[in-house]
This record gives sequence, structure tokens and C-alpha cells, in this order.
Amino acid sequence: MRFALRRLGFFVLTLWAALTINFMLPRLMPGNPALAMLSKFHGELTPQTLKALDVLFGVNTHKSLPAQYVSYLHQVATGNFGISLDFYPKSVSSVIGSAIWWTVGLVGVSTVLAFTLGTGLGIVAAWRRGGRLDSILPPTFVITSAIPYFWVGMVFVLVFGISLHWLPYVGGYYVSTDAPSLSPTFFGDVLAHAVLPGLALVVTTIGTWILTMRNTMITTLAEDYVRMARAKGLPGRRIMVDYAARNAILPNLTGFAMSLGFVVSGAILIEYVFNYPGVGYMLLQAVQGEDYPLMQALFLLLTLAVLLAILLADIATALLDPRTRTAG
Amino acid sequence: MRRLRAIGVLVSAGLLAAACSSGSGSGSGSNSSAKSVVTISNENGALWTCGFNPFLGADQLLSVGFVYEPLVYVNPLQNGKTTPMLATAWTWGAGNKSITFTIRKGVKFGDGTPMSAADVVFSFGLIKKYAALDLTGVWSVLSSVSQTGSDQVTMTFTAPAVPYFYYIADQTPIVPAHVWSKIANPVAYADSHPVGTGPYVVNPCTTANITYTANPHYWQPGEPHITKVEYPAFTSNNTANDQLATGQAQWGSQYIPAIKEFYTSKNPAYHYWFPPTVNVSLVPNLTNPLLANVKVRQAMSYAIDRAKVSTIGESGYEPPANQAGIVTPTFSDWLDSSQASQYNYAYNPAKAKQILASAGFTMGSDGIMANSKGQKLAFSVIDIGDYSDWVASMQVVAQNLKAVGIQLTPDNLANTDFTAALYAGKYELAYYDQQSFGPGPYYELRNWLDSANTAPIGKTAASNYERYINPATDNLIHSYAATTSVSVQHSVVNQLQQVMLTQLPIIPVVEAVDWYQYDTSGLTGWPTPGNPYAQPSAYAFPDMEQVLLHLKAK
Amino acid sequence: MSMPISGISTLGPPGLEPTTGPAAGQPVPPATHALARMARAVRSNRKATAGTVLLVVFVLVSLFPGVIAHDSPSADAYAPRLGPSTAHLLGTTAYGQDMFAQLVWGTRNVLIIAFVAGLATTGIAVLVGVAAAYLGGLWDGSLSLLTDVLLVIPLFPLLIVIAGYAHGGSTPVLILVITLTGWSYTARQLRSQALSLRGRDFLEAARVRGERRLYIIVVEVIPTMISLIVASFLTNALYAVLFASSLQYIGLGDPNSESWGTMLYWAQNNAALQTGQPLWALAPGACIAALGAAFALLNYAFDEIGNPALRPVRRARVKRAR
Repeated sequence: MRFALRRLGFFVLTLWAALTINFMLPRLMPGNPALAMLSKFHGELTPQTLKALDVLFGVNTHKSLPAQYVSYLHQVATGNFGISLDFYPKSVSSVIGSAIWWTVGLVGVSTVLAFTLGTGLGIVAAWRRGGRLDSILPPTFVITSAIPYFWVGMVFVLVFGISLHWLPYVGGYYVSTDAPSLSPTFFGDVLAHAVLPGLALVVTTIGTWILTMRNTMITTLAEDYVRMARAKGLPGRRIMVDYAARNAILPNLTGFAMSLGFVVSGAILIEYVFNYPGVGYMLLQAVQGEDYPLMQALFLLLTLAVLLAILLADIATALLDPRTRTAG
Repeated sequence: MRRLRAIGVLVSAGLLAAACSSGSGSGSGSNSSAKSVVTISNENGALWTCGFNPFLGADQLLSVGFVYEPLVYVNPLQNGKTTPMLATAWTWGAGNKSITFTIRKGVKFGDGTPMSAADVVFSFGLIKKYAALDLTGVWSVLSSVSQTGSDQVTMTFTAPAVPYFYYIADQTPIVPAHVWSKIANPVAYADSHPVGTGPYVVNPCTTANITYTANPHYWQPGEPHITKVEYPAFTSNNTANDQLATGQAQWGSQYIPAIKEFYTSKNPAYHYWFPPTVNVSLVPNLTNPLLANVKVRQAMSYAIDRAKVSTIGESGYEPPANQAGIVTPTFSDWLDSSQASQYNYAYNPAKAKQILASAGFTMGSDGIMANSKGQKLAFSVIDIGDYSDWVASMQVVAQNLKAVGIQLTPDNLANTDFTAALYAGKYELAYYDQQSFGPGPYYELRNWLDSANTAPIGKTAASNYERYINPATDNLIHSYAATTSVSVQHSVVNQLQQVMLTQLPIIPVVEAVDWYQYDTSGLTGWPTPGNPYAQPSAYAFPDMEQVLLHLKAK
Repeated sequence: MSMPISGISTLGPPGLEPTTGPAAGQPVPPATHALARMARAVRSNRKATAGTVLLVVFVLVSLFPGVIAHDSPSADAYAPRLGPSTAHLLGTTAYGQDMFAQLVWGTRNVLIIAFVAGLATTGIAVLVGVAAAYLGGLWDGSLSLLTDVLLVIPLFPLLIVIAGYAHGGSTPVLILVITLTGWSYTARQLRSQALSLRGRDFLEAARVRGERRLYIIVVEVIPTMISLIVASFLTNALYAVLFASSLQYIGLGDPNSESWGTMLYWAQNNAALQTGQPLWALAPGACIAALGAAFALLNYAFDEIGNPALRPVRRARVKRAR
């Protein structure tokens, strides 16, 4: 219980840190960048928008810094992230709402797929130490772990999209001919557009899972209780899964949570290569369009997503590992 | 393995779905001929807000021409050739200080209400009352607009301003008085269900797409032949280009890199045309002591290999400009060829070095020319970092100038930082083009050269960013504005060319163009170089109305 | 940019601290022996050799680019969009620049980023990690908290936001930004190892001898952690390269600089893949991958050197009894 409370406290702290970074950054940059951004919309913004932006960026305020900070936190707590300047006059929350499901779908499915597949392959590779799988996997995936995400995406675009014409490689669906609806054609369109970016994500992330799983599995297999299980004559598969893998998977799970930062960056780049209309792509557009309210909110969202995933991984770990329940 | 099989299932499901949806997705324009539909590909960088207020800069290109119409259509590509729209005739009064329009009879708004001269008077009164709506500044020259007969409207000017005919007759949309008189704040009015005299109505608009359907009350019989226009919202250039290349959009207004490989090679029915509009110029800050020396600017003009900037920086889409500032071939009729050959500023680095030498500059050991006082010809040039073609062009220009001993360091700024620096005159050199286009070279030259458009350093200059002030040039500009005589106009423009060639207030490098791609497989009537009946881009208003009225299914 | 592969690094339950570095319970040799051991290990380990060779090739290319590529990388001197030929090994870009020259000259920028950012980041990580372990108490608590918070905040979006406000950055700005945000992962690993070393006999001996804490840290502890520090450097260098190139690719670097990332930016802007110029996009990406692979191979090799259990198992040929 104390452990859970400590973790929760940690998450709140991290969220607060992200909020503070968001608050400080524009004020620290030379020549408040928000001022330049606002001059673009001179005269077109409503008073409410101006006030919201004022709180976010401290543009026209005469308040002291601590007072600004308090009103900033208060505004964020009420869910008001201001108006998007790129998508004016829609609110930032509604703009993000339109893009988030694309990313959740793409990244969620790819990550789960990569994790399960990678973990499985890692387990098998470690179990058959010295086998063919074990000798080719590590060097292959050491190298693929260094390949930039966008490069894999580009290769897929070139091979499967441009040369072979198998699958579409631009956008989330055919914008000119399809409209978001519940029809099977729309879903088919979405699925077709999701295959290449999804596969690119899987290919680039799977290497980590395979290798970490393999490494932890190897260490676990050297443990005494595994040797004991073998001596007892238990069937190989049972030892592999119930004794070794179950323990080896723990660090992998928490590693999963930690590597989410990289999954996020991978998603941003893959979305960029494929023009996939998710929040990663939206972040890049917000930067290019100097839409600072949107940029800030997306950063917070991504931090929140990582935190939530870590929370889930922690819960899973706690369920699987009794040591965490009794310790601390 | 179970997991591998799962992947296999997902992939084949995706391929199956792709096969199913490709039927609706990757057609090559066949849809349009069956149903007289045209789909536009114009990347706007954002989703639609479904606002159609014709007086707001962000929404104009979606409503003026589609739903709202002007009094007269003026074609900038054919030297201002006029086509009567809501006005059937017009006459200038004495001394060109007034103009009287005869308003067309039998025109109805989209809701069935008849349009009359009163609506015209109302529209002009509206933008007088709310200055934020007067985007072209017509009330800076108008003194009154009133109804002078059952179907006549007379406008009087404070001073003769003949060129303003373009802004008054072509660029001012006519709105229904019975709708707009009830609007409390027209500046904030979204106008999501616009009512106008134009060939289309909005039906419906979503954030992802606008569908325009034919206006049943439209005053031109049998028009429009195109019954539906689809205008999707694109947030990325890449997606918009892809829709053109796969034939899902037929009318493009896109910048497409390597257009032959990307687009025209995919289908013999795909074409493109980029008519030049205004000059993209190297803008010197004339208050800079070194740049104030005309010989330095002359040397620069000789040193720049404009053809190379065009080929390398702009992929050959934007033709080289000339120092006279006349955009060719659009305004070739205005080019004074005798002056052009006399002051030939063709690429000549040797001559550039000669001129610098005659101005007292010698090459330093660091490869940069310096004068006797030790002042070096080393400048920074600001440009917009987002425009990668301009960044590339500046790289070429920097290399050209380096070869004659002038060091140019590009400073790529964000859009807002750039315009702030440019307007306030806080730069040494800048690379930019005028944002408005008119039916003749006068409009651009006036923007650059009229001292009324400039301001001291630190204050905002409207369009004369280089801070060029010359009373004689101002007089020329005013004399053009006072006349309707074509010969006087040509004489003035010739003299303005001489200003450009001898005083070099700016150095034109290449000519900006209208972006335009079209697919002839299902539709005919497109504007072409042989038939330039309108500015062909979908974002040019009200020209896109003319395009839509000429288009029909094959 | 997958998660780094070095042992078992965790953010969670106790009992699973990283096991790189000297195996638990064995006597710890002094620094010079450790370096000699490393050199020998590099030579004998195939991955380490491959990684070292790749790295050396890149370093040589960055030091003497003119020897390999005779053309200027930035001059728009040739016909645009040429395919590969003997005159232009990779062809020319849409701007008429020789692609091979750009690739070769761009190496310098990338390696500078890798080494400078890698070293700086590792320096901060060592400082924070070891200090946290040895100062203990409130220092440890707060430094660890700072590390953990920074670890969880997604770095790439943070980099994008910072670079966005700064409207893109030159190479020094990129290095600065990456260094200031990227030290947390390796700091955590270093702290874990430093903690595990705290109770060792040789350190007790130094303390009993009366040595000052700083002396112990610098002379006794850090050299023992050398292999993990080197591994940290490799990790940080790898991420510096990947992050910097990605930022340049999406347009937040300096488009006028010579670098692999900026080549990718220009290739993207000219739709290189869709207009028949795939090499323009694929070649710099392949170079980034190769450099990254060099770092990763070396890193992986260090793992194996440190943790014998991970070393490759040679298949024993079973001789059948006749």
C-alpha cells in the first residue's frame, strides 16, 4: 500500500514538473516567443482567447511571476488549455480530441504487438541458447536498435507504397473520397492506411523487447530454482514459461514502461513520414505553425500518457511479483 | 507460432481492406465525368472552421467566387480584360472623379430574394462602417457610394484613383442587405450558411471537407455545369500532392517538387501551368550606408545568376525576373524593350567586379570586397525559414555574390519574426515578394516605390520595405492613378521601369507564380496558357468562379 | 531509437539492479588493469571489433573529408537530379549538389554532436549518479527524484518544444539542449552501480586509511566503474546522434548546415522518395544507422564483457562414440 502511495506521489510530482516546464519555457526564451505569435493574429482574437493565452504565456500580464504561476495551474486544472491558433477558433482540447484516437490506435496496437511478439521470441531464443535463433537474433537486433525510426518508415514507403503499390502510405484515410463514418469502407480505408506505419513501428521497436527479454531470461535461467525445477524433471515448456519467463518478464515490463519515451518519439517520427493524422504529427505541425498553446498541451498529454502507461505496468508488476507487495 | 500467425492475419486483413477500398479510393478522375464533380487539392495547412465571411482574410478564398460575386470580373492575366458580373456597364465621370455602375437586373440571392442596387450600396456602406472589413482599403480613396437610379450606383472619389477600379469592382463582394443588416457584429460574424448571388451554396461544411452544390437561383442560365465541388482540408502538402497524383483530386493549387516525376508522368491527362504574377526580390535596406550606394546594388544585380536561382532554387517553376520589374510573359506588353536592352542586367560577374572596383572597392585577403575605409561588403539576408525553396534560392544567391567578393549570410527566420523585422526595417537585405497582385505591373511597382507605403526605421512600412523615397517617382505614380488613357499609362510605366533600371530600389530575382495543376481526363474548359481567361489557382478569388463556370464534363 | 540494450536497467522493484561491471563478489582490480582488460576484450570479441572498425572509419572520414570526396558539398555546381555514376557516386540532389560529398562532409557535424553531447551528457550523469550514491540521504533523495522525473518525461517531445520556441537551432544549440535533457537514463544506471560498490572492502580500506570522500570517489570508485561509464558514453552518443538527426530532419535544425539530418530534411522537402531520388533520403539514414550500429555493437560488447553469462555460447560438437 505504501508502495502504491509512493508511486502515485511520484506521478503527481512528475506531472507537476511537466507543467512547470511548460510554464517556464516560453518565459525563459529570449524575446517571449508568444508575443511574436500573437502579432500574427493582431485584432482577430476574442478577449477570452487573449485572456487564456495571457495566462498560458504571460504576454500582457502585469502580475508577478508567482501569481502568474498560480493562475496558470488553476487554468490547467480546469481543463482550459486555450484556443488553438492553427485551428482557430477551435479550443485546444477539441483539436487534440480529433487526433488522439489515430495515435492511440496506431501506437497502442503496434506496441502491444511488438511487446508480445518480441517477448515471445526473446524467451524462445534464450531457452535455446546456442541455437540458430540465438545466434542470429542478437547481432541483428543490436543493429536494428540503432536504426532511426523514420528510416524504416521511408524504406516501407519506397518498397511497399511506391514501388509495389500494395498499400497507401500517405495520411490516415483517403481524404477526398472518404469521410469519417461507421461504414465498412471507411474502416477498410483506415485499416489499409494503418498497415505500413504500424508495421514500421513494430519492426523498429521489436528488437528491444527480444534482446532485453533474452538477456533477462538468460540470467534467470542460471538461477538455482530453475535448476531445481529441471532436476525435478518438470517438462521444459513449463519451466520456460512458469518459472523462468514469469520472473524474467518483470524487468521487461518495467523496462517497457521506461522505454515509452522512445515509443513516443518513434510514433512522432513515423507519423511524420506517413503524414498520419495523430497527435505526434499534430505536435510537429503546431511547432511549424507557431501554435504554442497546442504545442504545450500536446507535450502535457504525451507526458501524461507515459505516466499512465507506467502506472499500468506497475500494477501489472505488482500483480505478478509478490515481492513488491510486501517490500517498502 | 501463434503470435506470428496473428500478425499474418492482421497484414492480410489490411491488404484485403486496401483492395476493397481502392475501388473507391484510387480512381483516376472517372468519378468526375459521371457526376460533374470536381475535387480541389489546395493545402491550407489547417482544418476548415466553416466560416465563410467574405470580408475576412482567412475565409475569403472559400466564399468569394463560390457563393459571393463582385460587380465586374477583371482578368489580371489579360491586362485587365473585364467581364460584367453583377454590373452590366459602367462609365467614368468627369475628371475620373466618379464612376457609375449599372446593376444587372433579374439576379437572385441563394435564398430566392432579388438582388438590387440597394444591396451594392449596403455592401460598400458596411465596409465603410467597419474598417476591419475593408481589406483592400477602398475607402481610402472613396468619398461616397449612393444609389442614383433604380439600378444605378454612383461612387465618388476623394482624388482620381483609376487603378482602384480593380479593388472596387473585382475584389469587393456584394452581400444581401436583408441578411447582413441584422448582424450585430459583422467583424466577428462567422457566416456559416452564406447567402450570395454566386453559382454555389455550401452544402454541407465539416472540418474535413466543404461541399458546394449548384445554386438553383443562379442568374446565368445553364450554369454551373459542374454541379458539385469538393474542397477537402489538407494539413500537409504531401497529402494534398498525393491526392493529385492518385487522381482523386482534379484541380490542384499545389507546390509539387519535381512535378514531372511526381505528377505529370503518372497520367497523360495530368497537366500543370504556373503563370507568373509578381517579382520575388532581394530587398536592400536603403538606409544602410553601403547598400545606399547604387553601384553596390548594380553589382549585385549583375552578379546574380537568375537562371540558376530559377532552376536550382525553384525547380524551374519560377522564371527569372528582370531588373525592370516587369513580370513576363504575363505583362510582356508593358515591357519597354529598348530600355531593357540598354540596361541589360544579364548575368555578368566580371562586370559586377568592374563596377565595384570603380566604386572604390578592392578585394580583401578574405575574399570580401572592402572600400578604403575598411568597410566590407558583408551582409546578412533575412528570409522565411519555412519556405525551403526560398532558403535554397538564397544559398544560390550567396554563392553567386561570393564569387564577386560580396559575402551574404542567410538568416532563416520564422514567419512572424521575419515580417516583424521586414516591416520595421530591422534588416540589411531581405528576400520577399509583394502579397497582392493586380491587372498590370503598376500595382506591384506602386507597392514598392510609393513613399506613402513606407515608414521610418522602427515603424511599420505597409509595402515599401526598402524605404525608397523619391518625390519624382511619387508624382509618376499619382499621374497614372488619374488617367484612363492607355497611352499615358504605358508612358508612366516606362518611366517607372527607368527608375528600376537606374536607381535599383529593389533587385528582382525570380517571378512568383500561381500554382495550378489540372486533370483533363473527365473535365474540359480549364484555363491554359493559350486561353488564360482567369487566374487558374483555386485560391485566387474571384477568379475561381470563372474557372468553375467554364468547366464542364466531357 | 529503441530502448538501450545494456543489462537489466529498471525503474522498479528491488533486487534487480544492473549487473554490468564486475560481477558481484569478485575482487575488483585497479584501473589500469581494467583498461588493459578492456582492450584485450575488444580484440577478442567479434562485436566489439566490428563496432570499433566502423567507428574508426567514420572518424577518419570526418577528419579527412577532402581526401575521399573531392567535390564541395554545398556548391550547386552540377546538373540537378542525376543518378549514380562514376562522376557522382550517389548522384546529385535536386539542387545540383553532389550527394556523396554531402554525405562525407556531413560526417564531421554528426560526429561532433555525438562526441561532444555524448561526453557532456555522460559527465553530468557520472556527477549526478555518483554524487547521489555517495552523498546519500537528502542529496540522494532529491537527485534521484530529479533523475526519475526527467527519466519519465518523454524527451523527444520536450526537445521539440524547446527547439520550437527557439525556432530551430544551430549545432551548438542542439548539443546544449540534448545534453541538458538526456543525462537521466545513464545517471540512474551509474547510481545503481555506485550504490552496489559502496560496501566493498577496498573502499572500506580506503576509508579506514583516512582518505577524503572526494579522493575515494575520484580515485577509487570511478575507475572501477569505467566499463559502465564507457557504456554510458556510447549510449549517450547514440542518442545524441539519433535525436539531433531527427530534429534536423523535421526542420528544427539549421537547414544551411552540412549534416546527415539536414540532407534528410531537404530530401523530404523535395519528396525525394516519390520523385525517383530514393538515395537522397536513404543514404543519410543508412549512415546514421551505421554509426548508431557502431555505438550499439560496442555497447552490447561491453555488456558481454561485463556479464560473462551473456557471452555467446559456442555450440559444442558432440563426438559420437563409435
